[in-house]
Amino acid sequence: METSHGICRIAVALGETHCRTLLEHVDQWQGFQALVNMILFCTGIPGHYPVDETTSTLTLTFWYTLQDDILSFDADRQALYLQMYRPLYFQLVDVLLHKSHFPSDEAFASWSSDDKEQFRIYRVDISDTLMYVYDLLGPELLRNLYDRLGRLLTESGRTASWQDIEALLFGFQSIAETVDVSYSDVIPGLVGLIPLISVTNVELADTVMFTIGSLGEWLADHPLMLGGILPVVLQALTNPDLSVSSVSALKRICRECRYNLQPHTDNILAATQDVLVKQIHKSAQCMWLMQALGFLISALPGEQILGKLLPLLSPHLQQLEHLTKETPNPSNKSAIVHILGLLSSLFTTLDTSSEREGSEDMAIARPAAVPHPDPHPVVVILQQFFPLIQAVLSKWLTDSEVVEAACAIFDKSLKTLLSSFAPLVSQLSELVGQMYGAVPQAAALDLTRQLVHIFSGEKEHFGPVKTLLELLTSITLSIFQREPRDHPDIVDSFMQLHAQVLKRKAELYLSETLDIKALFYCGILSLKFPEKPTVKSTCLFFTELVPHCEDIPAVGEVLQEDGKLLLQSLLEGVGGQAPRSLMEYFAEVLLCLNRHCHSLMSVWLQEVMLIPNFPSARVSMEQKQTFSQQILREQTNKRHIREIVRDFSQQCRGLHGTEYAGDY
Amino acid sequence: MAYQLYRNTTLGNSLQESLDELIQTQQITPQLALQVLLQFDKAINTALANRVRNRVNFRGSLNTYRFCDNVWTFVLNDVEFREVTDLVKVDKVKIVACDGKNTGSGAAE
Repeated sequence: METSHGICRIAVALGETHCRTLLEHVDQWQGFQALVNMILFCTGIPGHYPVDETTSTLTLTFWYTLQDDILSFDADRQALYLQMYRPLYFQLVDVLLHKSHFPSDEAFASWSSDDKEQFRIYRVDISDTLMYVYDLLGPELLRNLYDRLGRLLTESGRTASWQDIEALLFGFQSIAETVDVSYSDVIPGLVGLIPLISVTNVELADTVMFTIGSLGEWLADHPLMLGGILPVVLQALTNPDLSVSSVSALKRICRECRYNLQPHTDNILAATQDVLVKQIHKSAQCMWLMQALGFLISALPGEQILGKLLPLLSPHLQQLEHLTKETPNPSNKSAIVHILGLLSSLFTTLDTSSEREGSEDMAIARPAAVPHPDPHPVVVILQQFFPLIQAVLSKWLTDSEVVEAACAIFDKSLKTLLSSFAPLVSQLSELVGQMYGAVPQAAALDLTRQLVHIFSGEKEHFGPVKTLLELLTSITLSIFQREPRDHPDIVDSFMQLHAQVLKRKAELYLSETLDIKALFYCGILSLKFPEKPTVKSTCLFFTELVPHCEDIPAVGEVLQEDGKLLLQSLLEGVGGQAPRSLMEYFAEVLLCLNRHCHSLMSVWLQEVMLIPNFPSARVSMEQKQTFSQQILREQTNKRHIREIVRDFSQQCRGLHGTEYAGDY
Repeated sequence: MAYQLYRNTTLGNSLQESLDELIQTQQITPQLALQVLLQFDKAINTALANRVRNRVNFRGSLNTYRFCDNVWTFVLNDVEFREVTDLVKVDKVKIVACDGKNTGSGAAE
């Protein structure tokens, strides 16, 4: 094995490095042809990778190089080389499919898990090569694969091994995964052949599923073929060994073909509900299934949606109700988190406002956004099980995982419903306020940020959000007075929340119920946190706050009184207390201050730079003055101010001019 | 010398923050920190070349492309990333790519 490995390395190195030169020497074509054939032999070296040989994988990149070089020539030479090498590439396809064959069942069972994993990766590499080769060989390649598969499946008296069938399907899947096969005339035939495949083992079944999944977009354009394919997928759903492949196939079909699945909706719902209730699949796959159903249901006529949703959700909500009555323990916690996850997965994709994405030249007309009755069916569902969510939270308030899972339901549904969520704003705001009042958690702040984002422009619905904001702010300010360092995630989310408020509804800062000064000082404290996301959010907060110094009197006042403190904190960070990767965010705040408080800024800078050894003992007075002048001169160019801050930061850290600091 | 483009990743940034701190407290020199970074470059290039198991497909609209100093930079819009069942859509993606066959070429990001 070692000898062949070494010889192969030499041949491949020669071929890859000098491919173009050897191609151009047409008079030496026989020699190059011999080299190429040698490499082809190495690609198809007998035995299974990686247990019998490890040589074949060395050759794969050569085929990319040869193809690239052939296709880079002018039209005339390209035609000549294609005439010579197309047959060779067809041979390569045969070799690659042969090498991708699974071994016998007994042999495969004897492989270690590491060998199986390496073989899987090897097949992925082969898949990549086949996909690339399609560029050279075109639709004729698919025709070639289809003819061979057809013969295997339809010729009587011929017993095809599952490995032969699987390899051909694998070839199809490799190409269909990334190449647009809409114009291939063999795909209808392939789809027709799939139900004929007698699936006798898991590897073949998996490949069948992945192949179906890869044809999702094609099936969307040829919905008549769905009737033959869907039963194959729904049957596979019942097998836990095919969990990943079957669920992934169903999800892709539901996503791509949702507007053509109405005749099959009940079958899909029944099959999916069955496997969910029987808990055949792992949690992650159950979430994918719910996402698939979200796509499916979102394409139904509005008046049908609720009728499909209620029976789907009822068993899970009943179970949730039952679990909520039990004393909290680890086992019922995981079940609760699972059910909450199912709901939020469903709402992630249950979006009746999205139109079909597709090219304009499609023959089949796409329906416009599906109209839905008012209130939205998802709102009706949420209103119905709101008391149940409240009951769950009342028992599990101190468990951040359950709280996050519950908040995720509203977060996902907010993102898809947007302003249609309005009927629930008041209820949700009250719930979030109660949650946060009992046990402050970042998930509540993030949810509030969504509410601000979506409802800031809607006067009639924003009242409860405003009340909620004031409550959360008051509670968080008290955290700042006690132990803010224990809650960097809360601080991070809090800063993001107020940055959003300033962006969308800055007039709230005119209200006397918000203590702007306290918020300002919280920001100063937050700038000193070691956690990068927290510091970044705080910089964002100040970037949004400072420009309002003119239109919000309280902001102007606090900057007048304590803007110097802000500047000092920023320069401490620049000087070495904050990571260098955050300097661009500090630079943005400095730019904001310079733009909106220029005259104050020049006074502040002068004063703070007079402090000895500030912001670092490594910078001289002259360097500090240069920095101050550069900052004050720059009021528009973000990139320039980042460079100024970066250079000064490096000087403060003793890194300026070192190769280590480089372009960082 | 291996590619340096992985220094601006979460792992690379975390390493540099730690090195910065050690330099500032004068426990190590910038030269030693540089050696550590160079070793990081080698290690991460090797790990990504040999130990990556997953494949993600993506497609989008090409906004700009640049090829300079053997480094490709692409900006794509409306990009879909697909891995098994997960499909993530983003408005804008910047891709910086170096030749995977020649990790010892010394090209930097």
